[in-house]
Amino acid sequence: MITAFILIIIGLLAAAALVQLVRTGKVAATGSDSTAKAIHPVDLRAFRNLVDPEEEEFLRANLTAAQFRSLRRERLRTALEYISRAAQNAKILMRMGEAARLNPDASIAEAGEKLADSALHLRLYAFQATAKLYLAILVPGTNISPVRITENYERMTRLVVLLGCLRYPTNGVAAGL
Amino acid sequence: MNSLKLLWYYLWIAPHLLQAILALLMLRRKLHRQFPMFFLYTAFEVVQFLTLFLVVRFIDQQLTYEYYVVYVFGSVVSATLRFGIIHEIANQVFRNYAQVQKVRRTLFRWTTVLLLLTGVALAAGIQVTGNPKFGLVVAAILDRTVSLLQCGLLLCLFLFSSYLGLSWRSSTVGIALGLGVFASMELAIAAFRSHFVLYGDLYIDLITLGTYHVCVLIWMFYLLAPERSAQFALQTMPEHDLEAWNHELQRLLRRL
Repeated sequence: MITAFILIIIGLLAAAALVQLVRTGKVAATGSDSTAKAIHPVDLRAFRNLVDPEEEEFLRANLTAAQFRSLRRERLRTALEYISRAAQNAKILMRMGEAARLNPDASIAEAGEKLADSALHLRLYAFQATAKLYLAILVPGTNISPVRITENYERMTRLVVLLGCLRYPTNGVAAGL
Repeated sequence: MNSLKLLWYYLWIAPHLLQAILALLMLRRKLHRQFPMFFLYTAFEVVQFLTLFLVVRFIDQQLTYEYYVVYVFGSVVSATLRFGIIHEIANQVFRNYAQVQKVRRTLFRWTTVLLLLTGVALAAGIQVTGNPKFGLVVAAILDRTVSLLQCGLLLCLFLFSSYLGLSWRSSTVGIALGLGVFASMELAIAAFRSHFVLYGDLYIDLITLGTYHVCVLIWMFYLLAPERSAQFALQTMPEHDLEAWNHELQRLLRRL
């Protein structure tokens, strides 16, 4: 009896979730304007510092165990926020890359494709890094090194600049974005 | 004939008429080449309806053996085709993203195994032997397991692509949404039936047929609406990133 009721509720919730995902644009058709279009700033130097093992060793050596654990948790939570922002930016830039991929100009289409690929990679790394960071928060001794995120974010940045230059050669990057 | 029975006939006939129109329009717009499995499913549903209609009208008016043989055979083929459609949707969505194909395959393989194990575990908890309605109970359990698999796979597909921020073609969104809503509601209805063994109940039939009607309307709306072209423009850029990105540009220019 309980199993039947649970499955009925799961079925109804799944139907509602599917409709909601489409309605809110989480699963969006090409050309949809429903996604957020604002890029959030990401300070890569600060992020690198937050996940730097040497920095962590320095703090461990100079703080009491309790202080270190508390500070480490705070630092990891902040790193999670950075990753979330980078992943959000990647989602937006992926749409931008996909739109550029359909451009009749071959160089713009190529740059768009590279940007979309890079942004997609970043989202995959962000997923892994988020899992690692949560694990590190829960299990204090875990080592984390989400370096790929910063490398990929920098690569994506370069591609956005390149795409901006190709699309708007006379007005600079800002106009292109 | 009372109004509920009239509604039952409407909900039985109308979606299949719409599907016949949809199949013809898909042929005319050459959409059957892009979605061959969905086209096959649509055409099969129409043929199955016509067969059942003729059986009811001329052979088995009391809805006994012949009707259920055709119905069960049709349901098995329909369920198989729906799995084919899910595979087709996944291929369409990930077609342009070669780098996530491996992740996608692993994710789907494990999701399928997990859902199948859940379905089997749930089925094992139901007393089947000695039940006078043995056939109906087994049918309901199979129906429930298939719905659980299809609903879970579609939800997994939606969530995975939503997380990655992949763009879908609007026709693919429509097919997936219609199928997902149908599978989810079927799961709820099959769970209800497997417990209360209510085949042939008018109200349950009305909910099932009504859900299917809504799904057919979703398919028609998305497949016949014109495909939007990709456009994108950023509205706001933070100063910080612009500076960093312009710096990158200067660095690149110095290299060239």
